[in-house]
Amino acid sequence: MNTKGKVVSGLLATLAVFWIGQPTDALAARKGKPVDLSNPEELFKVQIKASCSTISGKPTLYWWSGHMYSRVPGEKDTLLFNVHGMNTRRCEIKTDPKKGLCYRSVSREVMFYLDPVTNEVLRTWKNPRTGETVPVVQVANDPVNLQPTQRFFCARDEEGKPVVREGMLVKDDVVLEGGGAARLFYKNPLAGDYQDYVGGTYHAMEFGTTAIPLASAQNASITEFSDSVISWGRVSRWIPWMKMGDREGLVIFHTAGMRLDNFAQLPEVVRREIETNFPQYREPPPLDDARPNETSWTVFKKYIDAKRAADDQKK
Amino acid sequence: MQIQGYLPRASAALLLGLGLLAGPAGLAARAHNKPLDAKVPEDALQMTRKMVCSLEDGKPIIHWWKGSMLSRVPGERDRVLFNVQGMNIRQCGTFSDPKKGPGFRSVSREVMLYLDPATDQVLRKWKNPWTGEEVNVVHVANDPVNMRGPMFAYNDQGKPHEFTGTFVKDKVWTSGEAPLYYDNPMAGDYQDLVGNKYHAIEMLNSFTDAKWLLDRKVKTLPTVTISWARLSDWIPWMKMGGRPGLVVFTTVGKRVATIDDLSEPLRSEIRNNYPLYLAPPPLDDARPNETSWTYIKKMVDAQRAAAK
Repeated sequence: MNTKGKVVSGLLATLAVFWIGQPTDALAARKGKPVDLSNPEELFKVQIKASCSTISGKPTLYWWSGHMYSRVPGEKDTLLFNVHGMNTRRCEIKTDPKKGLCYRSVSREVMFYLDPVTNEVLRTWKNPRTGETVPVVQVANDPVNLQPTQRFFCARDEEGKPVVREGMLVKDDVVLEGGGAARLFYKNPLAGDYQDYVGGTYHAMEFGTTAIPLASAQNASITEFSDSVISWGRVSRWIPWMKMGDREGLVIFHTAGMRLDNFAQLPEVVRREIETNFPQYREPPPLDDARPNETSWTVFKKYIDAKRAADDQKK
Repeated sequence: MQIQGYLPRASAALLLGLGLLAGPAGLAARAHNKPLDAKVPEDALQMTRKMVCSLEDGKPIIHWWKGSMLSRVPGERDRVLFNVQGMNIRQCGTFSDPKKGPGFRSVSREVMLYLDPATDQVLRKWKNPWTGEEVNVVHVANDPVNMRGPMFAYNDQGKPHEFTGTFVKDKVWTSGEAPLYYDNPMAGDYQDLVGNKYHAIEMLNSFTDAKWLLDRKVKTLPTVTISWARLSDWIPWMKMGGRPGLVVFTTVGKRVATIDDLSEPLRSEIRNNYPLYLAPPPLDDARPNETSWTYIKKMVDAQRAAAK
């Protein structure tokens, strides 16, 4: 697991899927406690419990909220939207004779753009730079999975050697993860066939952190953490539905959140929007889901292609 | 998220300014077993103060973080330029105002080191891959990073202080951003006309357990975890001039009990080269804040003077 970005372009995926290359300080082993976190295989289990659950197929839920800003040269960064996101995920857990415990995660993810004043989900937005009112296309990525090419992550490699995963750090009474970034730079599904020549490449950075109470991490009987807190941030080009074209500038997301126990714990505005408009996002995809991942860019391409086709028919 | 009272500054300080400034103990002794109530301005101020520092005057509070600094240049994949390790050491003092009620102010010093991303060694020189020039690395050493003035239970307009944390399950957190845009101390006198303003945004989350925050007997939160991130123009010592591009810091960390609990090489580097930063500034510190930009300007000015 590294920050070779293509695997993940779904938003929260960065958090649980990427183990960011940070040198670890001492992984303090605590005597007399059931879980030895200096053991890479135990730490791997902690990773699974943070990402999903050691119970194969059990749905888990993360929620986060914060803000999206614009950054344009020559002006102060501007708050554009409140955002609320959630990812519902499950993992297939198996044991391989050589590689030990293995898992693969499948998930669905939404993030909603809310009016920064009323905190209601936005349907349209008047772009202050172009003056155009555009429909708001919420983030709804189904699926956001560990891709089949890398199907399972395992505790040990082909030779049966434990895989040392840098990035988790035991510090005092918490287990911390984060401080790196997934650097995404790849062919933009909405741009043309000559991006190496004329630009338009998809270019983004995602960064997340996780903090888990050490007591939970050391408790062998826990199957998934219910008390892990997260941060998620992202820097990218304009979101396609903003219709900013080639205009200079970036957007910045900054959020905080945590693991929830069930759908009912989501804030009302998020729950209502999912129930009304994104009902399939109440559950993660099936474990054997083999579809390619969606991103805001691929989802938007389908949206705009369908709209264009409909407009053509009208002609 | 409230960003009241943030102090424009270049480095990681927003721990302070961001979101979280508020108030002292006192007043509430009458109900000292009742949990703090965010609807009571004096209590809300205490909650904010606990997220920033301690209710105990003069108690040093250390925040530590580690992570990386990346470049973002149009048309190329982002690069990891450095690992970073930083810390902020602060203390708070109590104030009182006949109209505004109880208040507090935080004073602090802050260090952040740029480390080799492969070895985690403290960098002294860096070969800039875009210009080919080898430059001296100037680590962040900002003394002081203070709240300009105290924050009170009621502001100048009489508006009650609000604690804007988010309570979920057993946790509580503050999350906020400080967009910074002001005259660049290293640029000229006509920035409104020709540009070159200081332009950055700082982002901070601080998490703790609700039971500690709400317990008025808990003067200092036993555990606070943080994530701090920042996006800005190139750091001056990189000597990138007007080239397009940005830097992004992304880090994770927590409060630690003492300097001994800092990670290496930060701990040794502070002991060896930044001994001043072993303690916060005095509570009555009235100096203007230092930022990486003001700090490097002094350094460059001194070098230029010496070269004459």
